[in-house]
This record gives sequence, structure tokens and C-alpha cells, in this order.
Amino acid sequence: MRIEKCYFCSGPVYPGHGTMFVRNDCMTFRFCKSKCLKNFKKKRNPRKTRWTKAFRKASGKELTVDNCLEFEKRRNVTVKYQRELWSKTVEAMRKVEGIKRKRQAQFIFNRLKKGKQLEKEEAISEVKKNIHLIKAPHAGKAKVLEEKMVQKLQEDVEMGDD
Amino acid sequence: MALYNFKKIMVVPTSKEFIDITLSKTQRKTPTVVHKHYQIHRIRHFYMRKVKFTQQNYHDRLSQILTDFPKLDDIHPFYADLMNVLYDKDHYKLALGQINIAKNLIDNVSKDYVRLMKYGDSLYRCKQLKRAALGRMCTIMKRQKQSLEYLEQVRQHLSRLPTIDPNTRTLLLCGYPNVGKSSFINKVTRADVEVQPYAFTTKSLFVGHMDYKYLRWQVVDTPGILDHPLEERNTIEMQAITALAHLRSAVLYVMDVSEQCGQTLEQQLELFNNIRPLFANKPLLIVANKCDVKKISELTEEDQKIFADLTAEGISVIETSTLTEEGVMTVKTEACDKLLAHRVDGKMKGKKVHDVLNRLHLAVPAKRDEKARPPFIPEGARIGRKTMEVDAPKRKTERDLEVEMGDDYILDLQKYWDLMNQDEKYDVIPEIWEGHNIADYIDPDIMKEELKVKDEEMQEIRQLAKQIREKRKLKIVCSKDKDVHGPRLPRTVKKVERKTLEKEMGDLGLDMTGKDDSHYAVNARRSRSVGVAKKRKREASVVPTSRTRSQSASRPPRDQSGVRDPKMAKQAKKLMKNQQKDMNRQGKKGEADRHVFDLKPKHLFSGKRKSGTNDHR
Repeated sequence: MRIEKCYFCSGPVYPGHGTMFVRNDCMTFRFCKSKCLKNFKKKRNPRKTRWTKAFRKASGKELTVDNCLEFEKRRNVTVKYQRELWSKTVEAMRKVEGIKRKRQAQFIFNRLKKGKQLEKEEAISEVKKNIHLIKAPHAGKAKVLEEKMVQKLQEDVEMGDD
Repeated sequence: MALYNFKKIMVVPTSKEFIDITLSKTQRKTPTVVHKHYQIHRIRHFYMRKVKFTQQNYHDRLSQILTDFPKLDDIHPFYADLMNVLYDKDHYKLALGQINIAKNLIDNVSKDYVRLMKYGDSLYRCKQLKRAALGRMCTIMKRQKQSLEYLEQVRQHLSRLPTIDPNTRTLLLCGYPNVGKSSFINKVTRADVEVQPYAFTTKSLFVGHMDYKYLRWQVVDTPGILDHPLEERNTIEMQAITALAHLRSAVLYVMDVSEQCGQTLEQQLELFNNIRPLFANKPLLIVANKCDVKKISELTEEDQKIFADLTAEGISVIETSTLTEEGVMTVKTEACDKLLAHRVDGKMKGKKVHDVLNRLHLAVPAKRDEKARPPFIPEGARIGRKTMEVDAPKRKTERDLEVEMGDDYILDLQKYWDLMNQDEKYDVIPEIWEGHNIADYIDPDIMKEELKVKDEEMQEIRQLAKQIREKRKLKIVCSKDKDVHGPRLPRTVKKVERKTLEKEMGDLGLDMTGKDDSHYAVNARRSRSVGVAKKRKREASVVPTSRTRSQSASRPPRDQSGVRDPKMAKQAKKLMKNQQKDMNRQGKKGEADRHVFDLKPKHLFSGKRKSGTNDHR
């Protein structure tokens, strides 16, 4: 008994669920629900259908290359049952799962950081352009400007005198 | 030539049926309509056809019967003799002969009547001729009733005869009735012959097959033979005798040591000696059956002497018990070996062998030193060979276990599992955890990584941006709330109160204290002193004297109002020119010029003219 992957959306197909299509060249395609099957029949490419995992991985929206993903891999070699090996595997599985989740989350976080960068730049430009809505441009500088002007006038007067 | 295919003989119909079939066929398959006024040749042809058709049918059917039934001279003498015993050769031949005669008679009848019909001159006469012909043929067939019945019975019996191949390896069981021949064949082969306590349970020959040394062997069970001369033997015994006489086989003479069959050992020995001539040229074996009841060693002196004599003559005597299966295998192996040896000898003496022998050459490698190099047979092969010979059950099967345990039996396949630790066999193996297959993660390899820390640089800027956005939204909301109906007045129409101005600027962070002699305050005072809310009015009462004074000095010209310095004026002019540029380029009258002229309407510039060319439109 194993949980298969849906060919279209890469979701889990539990035993007793979904459908399987076998092509004339003996390639089997499993689907978790009729939505996936219908899309497949319409010859849609899962790598271009936005809601599928295949699209997300192909367009770099999710973590693809990582060594914690190498643990879950279908090996076509049977291993004879050994109690300690199995129990160790189950423990390791739990840990790996936790780490994998964290890393996936981190990947997405890093990806969205660019958005934060853009937000930052936007905020800066916003401040630069429209600061006058909150603060007057010469808010703290009025006195200084006045003094400067006064100084200038005085200089003019002096020059006029000369 | 139907040698051993007695099952393929066609059904022989009874005479009545035969007649019915043929006549109805004639009626169906030939034309039925004929009239008086037809031409005579047509009428003749019509009736001739019927006669010939009937004759043809009879002929075909009878010929088929004659060819289907085996000719006693053509088949193996064993079968010929067997058929003689069962059906009487003379009677058989007679019946077939009668059929043949009938066939010829029918042919003759048909020939005659067809000849006669050539001279028939009316429909009535032809019809009568045909009637006569058909009638005679049918009478001939009616007379064959007995033969046909007999042949049908022969056919049925023939198809049920056991298919004994007279040329292959055979073991023949013979002896008195009730000695245990059928039990023996049941033990050794898969045959299921009836075993009952009364004599002559087996009334005909039975065949079973078994395997030994990768070869197929036939075991033939015969009905028991009683001790009287050949002439007095009945059909059942004769079958056994026939088998003995014709089959080249190993003979197993079965004797009953315990004398439960109702005959003493002496009587059995008598019979044995009587039919001894039949055993010439056949490997012989004496099977002392029912030894579970009485062993030879328990017998009296004289009886033991009998067996001793037989052994002395070179015939092996083997004690068996079909009940306990003791000795059955030994009998089998011995008999088979003896027969094989006999057959090989026979072949060697014949001429055909030399052809093969001349082509065979056994190459033996030349010895290079004195070291003995015997053939190497692995232990497993040796054991296998031994088990095959003895034919003992190799291991206890699940089925045996099931039968033994009855209701308690549980099919437990996990006990055969071959794991590293045998005590883990009955573990419940986990397969799935939280949506993952455990089988996909078999090598455990644990690794860890640190998490990143958030940075806090941009807090301030973000806050400011947030405030700006809020303020903007607020302004939009306020402006929407104003709810102005009609044209909107420019901002400059309304007078700005000093208070509001100072408040707003104060909110924006400017210092608005001590602004009494600022420009806006002075203006405010001046306007107040002059008059409240003076409307702007055009003063055109004075006639302009000079161009330069055509406008009021107090009102600056529009391109100079609001312009601080020449730099700004230049900029304003530039802006103006830039605005106009686009419109001038597109040849528009002004900003409001949005009309798109249709300079070349399609209906005037396309299509054919009714008469004339399209040079001008």
C-alpha cells in the first residue's frame, strides 16, 4: 500500500481514491480527482497550469534543489524488514520532515524578500515625492533661510553703498 | 487408418432412421414441382435425378460406415484379438459384409431404374418407376436392420475401450480375482478402479499411467483369471488373456499370501504354471500381496518352499501390501528396471540399432596421469535423484497441515519469511506516516541548519510611508465628501483664512508664530480695511490712452501674473509651447479638437463602378 502522486497536480492519491489511466505504451497516469483528469484529457501541460506543484517548481516558486528533498525518493530496490532500521527510519523521517518544512518556508520567505525590497524603494520614493502632505518642505529650515536672506540683503546694501 | 481412434466413428443409424433420413433428404434437396405438360425429357430428368440422389445418399453413408469401422486385419493384433473376444470376429465381419452387399444392391437398382426411365413416355410412368426404385432401395435397407443395430452397439463399446498403446512400456497385472490388482494400480497410478470384496469387480481392462525415470509407463489392470482351460474361458477372462498374449510388457503376477481371495497358495501356483507359456519373453515379477495380514515368514514350510522355488528359478518375489503401501515402490522400480533392460536388449539385438550406433561416438579424454578423476555429482542432485526413485513425499505441504489441523488451521504465510532476525517475522510493518511512504525513506541521514534572523532597518521609512498613505486617503475621502453640485470653482476663488492656513502649516511642522508682517497677513489686513469680500470687477470706465496702459496697472498681464522671476517665466513659456507642440503637429484646432476626419470614406473609394472605369471617383 502506498500513497501515489497525482500526475497532474502532484498531490497525494490515497488508496481507494482517484483514477488511473494506462496508455498503450504501458505508461500509467494516476490522478487524485476528476479535475486533474479532465485537465489531462484537455492536453494541458501541468508545468503551465498555475495551481499545480509542477508549475510552482518549474517557475522557481518553491524549493527544488535541496538535500533534504533527496531523502524521500522511490528506490526500486526492496529492503528486507529489520526492526531497528525501520524504527530509525521513522524517527529520521520526522526530523527530516520538520527541517524540510522550515527550509521550504525559508525559501518562500527569501523569495518574497524582493517584494520587501520593492516596498522599501516604493516607500522611499513615496516619502520623497509626497512628504509635503505631512510635513512642509522647509519645516525646520525657515529660520535659517530667513537669516540667509537677511544676510544677503545686507550684503547687497553694502555693495550698493560702495 | 483409424488405429487407435475408435472414438471418431460416425453414429450408425437404425434402418428405419436411415430410410427416413435419406428419403426426407431427397425430398428437400431435389426439385419438387413437375407437371404433366412439361416436356418429356424434363419429366424424365426430374425423376431420374431423384433416383440418383437417393442412391448417392445411401452409397455415401454406407461407404462411410465401412471405412470408419476398423478392419481387423489392419489394426494391431492386440486390438484385433480384443475385438474378437468382445464382439466375435465372424459376426463383425459378417455385419460389415452385409452392409457392403446392400450398398452394391442399391447401386444396381438405381442403375437399372435409371435405364428404364429413359423409355418412360408419360409423367405417370416415370413417377411409378421412381417409386419402384426408391421402394426397392428402402426394402434393401430394411433388411439390414440387424446388422445396423449390431454395428451401433459395437461402435458404442469400441469408443469406450481404454487407449492402450501396445508398443510402449507397460506393466501388466494378472492373477486370481480379488488378490489386489486393482488396489495396486490405484496406488501406483492416478487411476481410480473400483475395489470391492466380491470377485470379478474388474470386468474389463483398465489403464493407468505413471512416471518413472522421466518416462511414461502404462499400467494395465486385468480382470481376474480362474484356473480352467482356454476353451472354457468366458469373455471377461479372455480379455485378460488377450492382453497377456499381445502386449509386450512386464508381467506382475499378483498372489494373495493371506489366501483371503478364496484360493489357496497351491491353486494360485497352479494357475501360474498354467499360464506360464504366456509369460515367455516377458520380464516376470511375483507380487506377494496382502503381506500386512500374513508375511511369507509366517507361512508353513511347504508354502514357503513354493516361494523359495520360484526365487530359485530366477523370478523375484516381492512382498507388498497395498494397504500399508509397503513394498509397492520396490515392485514398481524393479518391474520398470527389468522391462527397460529387456527392451534395450531387444533393441540391441535388432538391426535398427546399428544405424544409430554407427553414428554415436563417446569421446573420453585421454588420461594424463594416474590420478583418479571421478564424475562430480553435487549432493543436492544425488538427494533429488534418490527421492525421485523412492518417490517418497518430500516435505509436508500446507494442504497436509490443513487436513491435519482441521478447523484450527490458519494460513500463516509469514512463517516462511526469510529475514535477518527470525523473531521479527510477526511484526506489524508500518507503511505510511502523515502522507509519506516510509518505504521511500530507507537511509536515515540526519542533518540540521540554523534559521535566519529578521533585520530591522527600514522601520522608520515604512512608518513614514504609512502615514503618507493614510493622509492621502483621508484627503481623497474629504474631497469626495464635499459633494459639489455643478461646476467646481478653482481653489483661488475662495479666500483662505489666516487661521486655517496657520493651522495647516503648523501641522506640517512649520513654525507659524510671529507671522504678523508676512505677506499674507498684510494682504489680509489691507483687504479688510478696504472692504469685506470685494468681488473682482472689471474696471473699463476709463478709455485707454496708450497701449501700454490698455490694461489696468494693478492687474498684471496673464503671462506675468504668478511668475516670480524670468527663469520661471521662461519655464512657463516652455511649458506652454510644449503643450501646443503636439496639437500643432497633429493639425488640431485646440485641446478640444477630438474629431477624427474620415478623409477617405470607404464607400467612395472602393468597389466597382456600374459602367466606366475606376480612374476617377
